[in-house]
Amino acid sequence: MNQAPGAAVPAHIVIVGGGGTGAALAHDLVLRGLRVTLVERGEVTSGTTGRHHGLLHSGARYAVSDATAGAECIQENMILRRTAPGTFEENDGLFVALTDEDREYGRRLVAACEESGIPSRELSAEEALRLEPGLNPELLWALQIPDGTFDAMRLPLRWFATAKHNGAVIRPFTEVVDVTSASRCVTGVVVRDHTDGRESRIAADMVVNAAGPWSEAIAAMARVDVPVQPSPGVLLALRGRLCNMVVNRCHPAADGDILVPQRGLTIVGTSSWLVDHPDDLGVPEDHVRAMYDEGAKLVPAVRGAEQRAAWSAARPLIGGRGGSTGRELSRTFECFDHARSDGVEGFVTISGGKATTARAMAEKTADVVCAKLGIDRPCQTRDVVLLPHTAYYLS
Amino acid sequence: MTEHTANDPRPPAPEQLGGDPQDTPAPLHPAPGHTVTFRVSRSSRGERPHFDTFQVPVEPRTTVLDGLISIRRHQDPTLTLRHSCFHASCGTCAMRVNGREGLACVTKLEELGGGTVTVEPIANAGALISDLVVDMVAFFERYAPMGQPLVRESELGPGSRPAEGVERLERFEDCIECGICMSACPISATDSRYLGPAALAAAWRVMSEPRTADPERAMALADVDHGIWRCHAAFECTEACPSSVDPAGAIMRLRRTAARRRLGGLLSGTRSNR
Amino acid sequence: MIEERATSGTPATRRPDQPVRRRGLVSWVDVRGRRLGGWAFALNRATGLGVLLYLYLHLVILSMLAGGPGSWDGFVSIAGSPILLLLDVVLLFGLLAHGLNGIRVSLVGLGIVIDRQRALFVAFFVMGLIVFLIGAVRIFGETGGGR
Repeated sequence: MNQAPGAAVPAHIVIVGGGGTGAALAHDLVLRGLRVTLVERGEVTSGTTGRHHGLLHSGARYAVSDATAGAECIQENMILRRTAPGTFEENDGLFVALTDEDREYGRRLVAACEESGIPSRELSAEEALRLEPGLNPELLWALQIPDGTFDAMRLPLRWFATAKHNGAVIRPFTEVVDVTSASRCVTGVVVRDHTDGRESRIAADMVVNAAGPWSEAIAAMARVDVPVQPSPGVLLALRGRLCNMVVNRCHPAADGDILVPQRGLTIVGTSSWLVDHPDDLGVPEDHVRAMYDEGAKLVPAVRGAEQRAAWSAARPLIGGRGGSTGRELSRTFECFDHARSDGVEGFVTISGGKATTARAMAEKTADVVCAKLGIDRPCQTRDVVLLPHTAYYLS
Repeated sequence: MTEHTANDPRPPAPEQLGGDPQDTPAPLHPAPGHTVTFRVSRSSRGERPHFDTFQVPVEPRTTVLDGLISIRRHQDPTLTLRHSCFHASCGTCAMRVNGREGLACVTKLEELGGGTVTVEPIANAGALISDLVVDMVAFFERYAPMGQPLVRESELGPGSRPAEGVERLERFEDCIECGICMSACPISATDSRYLGPAALAAAWRVMSEPRTADPERAMALADVDHGIWRCHAAFECTEACPSSVDPAGAIMRLRRTAARRRLGGLLSGTRSNR
Repeated sequence: MIEERATSGTPATRRPDQPVRRRGLVSWVDVRGRRLGGWAFALNRATGLGVLLYLYLHLVILSMLAGGPGSWDGFVSIAGSPILLLLDVVLLFGLLAHGLNGIRVSLVGLGIVIDRQRALFVAFFVMGLIVFLIGAVRIFGETGGGR
């Protein structure tokens, strides 16, 4: 069902998945004048989005291996600070070198940040310790970059709140049980509302699959294929705010190499393994021990800190299966137009990515959706300041 | 929850591999180890709550939230509950467990002392949507108008300085908006107009550190009959708060401020600041 | 199966017809998991009602004075009985508990003592207990209809 340009009734988009990507997409599409219904099987952000460590990426973590990803991150970082003011702990972050290898990586990091447009400042060990007295006193060198902290749920709630205010229908506890099609064109979804057990159909001009690591299951209902590899990692929350700045280990991404302060807690993460299904992840004890070991190298107080919680979250990585840990797969995002890849119209999947780039993922997806429907409306999400997260409950 | 090493990443239970979540839930194969009886409040559309009983396989690390998710995944996919962060930051998994308020994600079953685990939704904070889900509207209607910013100055470390380019060290406010304080408060239970501990604690924070908010407006909202003066010092909110907000202390400090202002007004012959 | 075309602005998370789920009066007496402050609150409710009931009874009894020596003497003859002395002891407990906790609530409630409210409860509890025990012993020393 394609929308003719200039038709009176705006096209209706159904978004499957209430994580950060779905939230940002609902916000974007509604601003472009479309009608949006978002369905999520649980509470909003109850999938992967709610569980991440809350890092507002400067992009430095990706800059050395992928300059484009780094550049994209810092742009989104700035856009988020502008459109969602007051939603971040904006204390910047450090990349800390503990060994000569780290120091060598640091030289490459400085050059990579320069190339990606990520502001950075080199610090001697003394200068770093003045900023963060809790750091390992034997550090060699540090690099200051504009990392920050955000509440994994409360930032997306601002997108939800603004989208709702602008007319989007957000339906949590509403699970997609089937995708309806006619002649190789998706026509809508069948959902079960778990608050009362009733099933209903929702007709759509386009269905967007934004279900993160659960995307494959949704895609299967539309009889298309989506190469998403769920890759979980363990995170710890320790009692006590052990640092004010985000503290990263200055080496290629590895287990336990980041500490993110979050109100009165310190989040230590993360690890990486592969699973076939994103539910029932478990929390491997040796991963928990590894978090303590690696975290304590950066801030010794981690060693004795009491554990508030330990949990796992599955990243939705793009790419086929067959890797060993998941770290070799890209952290970029991709939008699949299934008309091109599978010959099925009316169905688009957005997957991959990370929390910091959710808005960019949504912009690209909205561009694809609008192009397919023949709608020419620009994206406004770079500049629209969002409603406060509390508005979600009051509209 | 099953333990497994990094060298053998696959969870051992075969029914968890692949599969469409829309299949009928896999039959429960309890791992060696014991099970716990969960008695969970159920309600369709917020009507006629009743209890359903489930046997849930558990391990030392298992939390109430793990148990409920296990029920949803393997026994009853219609169970509705709120959760998001798994680490006491989002506040959505607030529940009453064995009659006491708490966050399900950090309430370990081994700390509950054995026996049946009774799980009910929190009270007083909103209308019941279904099962354990409350709409939180009553909470936010009182809390949001105070205008408390999400961010406050960080008190960490007398030795810490902000990095160059960073104006002041900051951190998120303690309050995670879970509603546990309102649920534990005996006054919120009986007075539909009482602002409740969370809103009043927010008013105190705005008085202490206004940032972008208006402290006089917050004080005006709080210094009313069904605001700070309704509290009867049960202190249950402070005891139950999972995030060290101390709402009762905030209410009493607001009262002290209000009392001083009135006394000062009396002594200097000016009208009190209402 | 319901055919549904989504309309705008209908948040499915709200049930406007459903009232806020309040726990009601049962939370005044349910002391499961309560700490000292919660016990003090429940005790104050109970003793408040108890002392109120006593006040009513006291007025009823005093009204017997208006009935002349006949009715008043009738009351005095049972005033020293063990049951009434027991009620007197209960009354003493109620007055001490409500009064001392009331002082605590006033001090805390005006912000004069905030962070040591639990210690204050303990201190008053100990004081009250001592006065109560002395009082109870002296009251029961009155058995036999007075001296």
